[in-house]
Amino acid sequence: MLGSANFGDVLVIADLEAGIGTLTRLDAQSIDVVVVVVEPTPRSIDVAQRAVELATAREQGRLIVVANRVTGAADVDRVAAGLPGCEIVAVPHDPAIMDADRRGVSPLDSAPDSPAVIALIGLASRLVSS
Amino acid sequence: MRIAFVGKGGAGKSTIVGTFARLLARTGRDVVAVDSDPMPGLSFALGLPVIERPIPDDAVVEKAEGTEGPRYRLRPGLDATAALQAYGALGADGVRLLSFGKTRGDWGDIIRGQHAWSQILDELPHDRFDLIGDLPGGTRQPMTGWSKYADVIAIVVEPTAKSFATARRLSSLRDSKWAYHHVVAVANRISEPADTVTVAQRSGLRVVGAMPFDEGVASADRLGMAPLDGAPDGPFVAAVAALVEYCVARFDGSLKSQNPIKEAVA
Repeated sequence: MLGSANFGDVLVIADLEAGIGTLTRLDAQSIDVVVVVVEPTPRSIDVAQRAVELATAREQGRLIVVANRVTGAADVDRVAAGLPGCEIVAVPHDPAIMDADRRGVSPLDSAPDSPAVIALIGLASRLVSS
Repeated sequence: MRIAFVGKGGAGKSTIVGTFARLLARTGRDVVAVDSDPMPGLSFALGLPVIERPIPDDAVVEKAEGTEGPRYRLRPGLDATAALQAYGALGADGVRLLSFGKTRGDWGDIIRGQHAWSQILDELPHDRFDLIGDLPGGTRQPMTGWSKYADVIAIVVEPTAKSFATARRLSSLRDSKWAYHHVVAVANRISEPADTVTVAQRSGLRVVGAMPFDEGVASADRLGMAPLDGAPDGPFVAAVAALVEYCVARFDGSLKSQNPIKEAVA
């Protein structure tokens, strides 16, 4: 459906399964932007490298790396070193997100001013403005 | 003992499996960590690098046209135990990592390895090796038989609404044709004892282990270190050790080959 439906002006945000399986089945025309979410750990960065390689080789549009659950500059540096040349948006480790998760509510409702939500609002603005 | 760990992505399966397998191996048993994720993860917990193609293409031969059975079989003369010893990477504490390899997007690259992996698991002797499995997140592999080598399914559950939802779906494995002896829950990243009770209530499963949130494990993960190497004295490792002890006492010897339901299905 992602590949064939005419969405017109509707903005589609797809949350894909972990790994790169779904990405291998999407053609370049279906996507404008690929957002690769990565944690600042070697095993997460290894998977992200595979996703970045694939999206780049298939020319699946603009690529943004979201460094998630970062606790400081060292974490962002670790992600940047593993994924050189990528546009990186950092989302901080934030207890408000964990709390929302435990309560089964959306962080945008329960903690709209928390640092992670503010970072994600920044990501959304960045995507919409370009 | 044959246990497969399943659960939502990010629930902590690989970290638990790697630690569990190593602690079990320290008791002197032959332990195989079974990896069916085409993405890297488990090797880090075993102190191993990512191995892209652990099983070479010539481990298998293609079946002749017009004959029955799987497309690829282990080459003549290579049995499951020999194949495990040849292609299972030797990790920390003597754990063997059995993996069919990792992909960069071309699934054809790992299909021969997957056939070999599957046949090895079908044919490994039950009385010699403990199998501790790590499945990719979600329901796809567990629901399609990728953990059929196991007697026990351990669903890793975090105390979050989305993790409970995944666990409830996975609990239907109790009624699957693979006739697992036990389907149980392992609570992960709990921050208070009440979390374990919540996991039991919301998942509807017996909770056999409860791993506390451990900052040392998170820090070690950032450095690519296993909990046993980076936070060996922390509460996470202690809780996995308790789980190993429980499983040896409770699940050892619950062999599928002795399971009449399984034999009836077969």
